[in-house]
Amino acid sequence: MSDDFRARAKLSPKGHLYEDFNVGEVRIHHWGRTIAESDTLLFTTLTLSYNPLYSNRAFALAHGHSDIVVNPLLVFNTVLGLSVEDNSEIGGPFVGVGALTYRQPVYPGDTITARSTTKATRLSASNPANGIVTWLTEGFNQRDELVIDFERSNLVRLRHPPKKEAAA
Amino acid sequence: MKISDLTGKDNYFEAFEVGQVIRHARGKTIEGLENVLITNLVMNTAQAHFNEDSMRGSQYGGRLSYGGVNFSLVMGLAMQDTGENALAELGMDNIRLLSPVVHGDTLYAYSEVLKLEEADREDAGVVIFRHYGVNQDDKLVFQGDRRMLIKRASHWADR
Repeated sequence: MSDDFRARAKLSPKGHLYEDFNVGEVRIHHWGRTIAESDTLLFTTLTLSYNPLYSNRAFALAHGHSDIVVNPLLVFNTVLGLSVEDNSEIGGPFVGVGALTYRQPVYPGDTITARSTTKATRLSASNPANGIVTWLTEGFNQRDELVIDFERSNLVRLRHPPKKEAAA
Repeated sequence: MKISDLTGKDNYFEAFEVGQVIRHARGKTIEGLENVLITNLVMNTAQAHFNEDSMRGSQYGGRLSYGGVNFSLVMGLAMQDTGENALAELGMDNIRLLSPVVHGDTLYAYSEVLKLEEADREDAGVVIFRHYGVNQDDKLVFQGDRRMLIKRASHWADR
C-alpha cells in the first residue's frame, strides 16, 4: 500500500448527471438556511436594491410587517443555492427560470428549506452530450409554509453520451 | 418619520406607461465581493463560481460570476427607479442568462414597462417590468420580467 495519501484517496463525488433524473421524482435538498438580518442587509446593499422595506425596520413596521422584509431575491437565491448540489452542480449551465411566485414575505430569523420535483427531461439533437432538465423548485419556511416556487431548466451532461456517428 | 419622505416622488404607480424604457444611472463592477460572497452566503455549491484554480484553464479564464448574483445586481441597479415604492415583489418570469460574466465585468441596467394591471387593493397597482442587463461592452447578459405591487401616489404620497 502506498504511503502517499493521494494515491490511496478516492474522490467523494458530488452532484447528479442527466441519467439520474426521472420525471415525477422529488428531492429534498440538504441543510436549510436561517436567514439572519445581516444576510439580507448585506445582500440588499451589495446589490443596490433600494426599497426601504429591505433596509429600514421602522418603515417596514409602518407597512404592517413584523420586521425588515428579507429581500425576495435573497430568498430566491437561497432556495436555488440549496438545490444546486442535487440539481446542477456538475451538470452544466443555467438555461432559464420562469413562473416564479413569491407566496409570502420572509423575515429575519426565518429558516428556509427547499425541494425540487423533476418536471421534464429531454435530449438535444443539436447537443448530444447534454440534455435539458426542468425542475419545479419550492422553498418553505420553518412552519412548512410555501414561500416561493419557480421552474428552472439547466443543461445537464449525460453520463453516457451517444457515440458520435461517423461523419457522412 | 413620515414614510413618503423616505422614497422618491416620481415612481408611484401612476408614473409608469406601457412601452416606457428607463436607462438606470448607475453601473456596478462585479468582483469577489459580490460573486463569491453572495454565492457562498446562499450555499450555492458550484465551485465554478469560487474556485479560481479550477477555472483558470477554462474558456472563461477564471471564476464565472453566478447568474443569480448577476441578475440580482441588475434588478438592484433598476430598483430605485422601478420598485422603490413597491409594497411587494410578486414574482418573476422569462429569466434568461445570455452571456457569461467574470470578475471585473461591469453591469448596467435598463427597464421596460411591459404591462400595467389593477391590483386587488385600491391603493396600489401591478407593474410588470422587463429588466435588461448589459456589460461594459454593451453586450446583453441578462433579461427577465419582474412583477411588483406598487403604491399609488393618490393614497401614499402624503402618508
